[in-house]
Amino acid sequence: MPMNRDEFLLEMDEILDLPAGTLRGNEKLEELQNWDSTSLITFIALAESNNGVSISPGQIVTCATVADLLRLAQAESSAS
Amino acid sequence: MTTLPSDVLKSVRFPFVVADILRKRQMMKRELLKQTNLVPTRIAILGGSTTTEVKSMLELFLLAQGIQPTFYESGYNRYSEDVQFENPDLWNFKPSIVFIHTTWHNISAFPELLEADVDVEQRIRREMGRFEFLWEKIHAELGALIIQNNFDLPGLRPLGNLEASESFGRVNFVLRLNAEFASYARNHSRFLINDILYLSAQVGQAEWFRSTYWYSFHMAVSPIGTVALARNVAAMVKSVYGKSKKCLVLDLDNTLWGGVIGDDGVQNLILGRDHPVGEAFLDFQRYVKGLQRRGVILAVCSKNDLENAKEGFSHPDSVLKLEDFSAFKANWDPKPDNIRAIATELNIGLDSIVFVDDNPAERDFVAEQLPEVAVPNVGADVSSFAEVLEQERYFEVEKVVQDDLNRSAYYSSNAERSVGQSRFSDYGEFLASLEMTAEIGPFAPVYLERITQLINKTNQFNLTTRRYTSGEVVAIAQDPSFITLYGRLADKFGDNGLVSVLIGQVFDETVHVNLWLMSCRVLKREMEYAMFDVLIEQCQARGIRKIVGTYIPSKKNGMVASHYAGLDFRFMGATSEGGELWGYDVPATYSPRTRYIRKTADTLLATSPSADNESVASEA
Repeated sequence: MPMNRDEFLLEMDEILDLPAGTLRGNEKLEELQNWDSTSLITFIALAESNNGVSISPGQIVTCATVADLLRLAQAESSAS
Repeated sequence: MTTLPSDVLKSVRFPFVVADILRKRQMMKRELLKQTNLVPTRIAILGGSTTTEVKSMLELFLLAQGIQPTFYESGYNRYSEDVQFENPDLWNFKPSIVFIHTTWHNISAFPELLEADVDVEQRIRREMGRFEFLWEKIHAELGALIIQNNFDLPGLRPLGNLEASESFGRVNFVLRLNAEFASYARNHSRFLINDILYLSAQVGQAEWFRSTYWYSFHMAVSPIGTVALARNVAAMVKSVYGKSKKCLVLDLDNTLWGGVIGDDGVQNLILGRDHPVGEAFLDFQRYVKGLQRRGVILAVCSKNDLENAKEGFSHPDSVLKLEDFSAFKANWDPKPDNIRAIATELNIGLDSIVFVDDNPAERDFVAEQLPEVAVPNVGADVSSFAEVLEQERYFEVEKVVQDDLNRSAYYSSNAERSVGQSRFSDYGEFLASLEMTAEIGPFAPVYLERITQLINKTNQFNLTTRRYTSGEVVAIAQDPSFITLYGRLADKFGDNGLVSVLIGQVFDETVHVNLWLMSCRVLKREMEYAMFDVLIEQCQARGIRKIVGTYIPSKKNGMVASHYAGLDFRFMGATSEGGELWGYDVPATYSPRTRYIRKTADTLLATSPSADNESVASEA
């Protein structure tokens, strides 16, 4: 998963089937219509296959916004 | 930027990027749904683990095959209970296909350490009994075709290599169970194995099962593994609906051999075991030969002088011989023109063709000019050609039936028929010279696979283009309220195999012909007259006084627009779906229309309704 914020947001747009440029980062996950188990699994799978970082669902539960997901991916990436 | 369904189709072709598919699946689905002429199907996924991801990916790959599924999804690990206790939601869903997505996690109990062989055997019988109960209930009560996973291997091996060799070992146990599943598949129709043992090895055991997904979501297969699984199941469903390809069109230079035959000469071609690249060409030829032997039609499309091109097959190491090809185009015309000519010559649709060429410019040109033709991105390295064809699963079949083995021989002898035709000035004289014999009768168990295959792939001589699953075909064959007819046609050049199918439903003294089709192999041979003659005999025997035929126009069946008029039916009116109804009063005395086809004794035997009904029932 790209660590550049803009690229990350564009990728999340695709995962959530939103027009490119929709997400700004401050959106609450619980308010995003397509944030479901499929998109969650996709997020984990892409983080792993693109960046080699392992994110557990438990860690995602602590995320409230799209920006939190980015921080999680960045933190895991820099830690790995 | 706008994405077209054709762009999406490219992105699900091998080699593809799994991450792209995962990320863009919603957009891809939306675009693929814009395709026209999608074939609907109803699939029940009965899961031994979470199946959300399986459903999502399967939908995507089915849409890419032109099939639009509606799904039923069992609750988590409710695959057995749903069937055993007849979940009304499942029963009301009336699936055409039941996909049982079980994995090694669903083996109820592995053998104990040092368990005696006889007890392990008992354990296998119990496990088989549990599954056979489900399969038989699904077949008997839902009438659906079953796609059943075999078992992948457990990720951990507490006994190390002994897991494989000891009868109580878990690897050994899984492999024995898989052999039992395979045996059941060999002996039962409408039952197909989804070979996840192979898929897990192909993806890599460590990638196939990831404990993260198991413990977090109870997914028995990782998202990456699920992509492989869904592609495989979609290919199987594609074959059930007769959407597999029929013909492989091949370039020659640097595709079937190394070098350019026109420049290098046959003696300098790179082909054979004495050269590393030559060995790769040899192995690709062997792979192609294997496809040809199981019924894939081969054709050549090469920019070459004809005689030069043919000479290549005289190379001592060439596994492929000239007679393996049913059409041969070697000239300097554009390849799309030649491929069109091949389709016409073989009487097949362009959408039945796969084109393989090492030259990317030729591939692009054909793909652009003939979007119906499948043009895999085989690259320029012969060592990957077969793998790409394999990965695309173009030629997936439900079963190999005798007619498949005869198909190439048929297309080759068709050339002889054409030569023969040119010797006669009168077409009737030509037909008489063919010495044709037909076997026509009610659906017989031995032909049900082929009948289903024809029903689901015939587009041109097909009055209604109605598709039926194998389960529906079996049910119709057993139902006395239907008249069913199959027709086989042979001539002095060979056996054309089973080429025509008719299904009529009887209401009092009227039969409604719901389906009437014929393979284009035998157009203009009066086989439709032979079928009609037997239909009349059946009607007379059953006291049926009227035949109502339906014609539903499609993009491909224009050739039968006047079929009923030609048989002296009268137009009755239009149907609400844009079809036409045609009526025919069955006369008390009838003169057969067939002039050049002799019906065999088998036909008379087969048309005895009582004998046939018993034989179908015994199969079921």
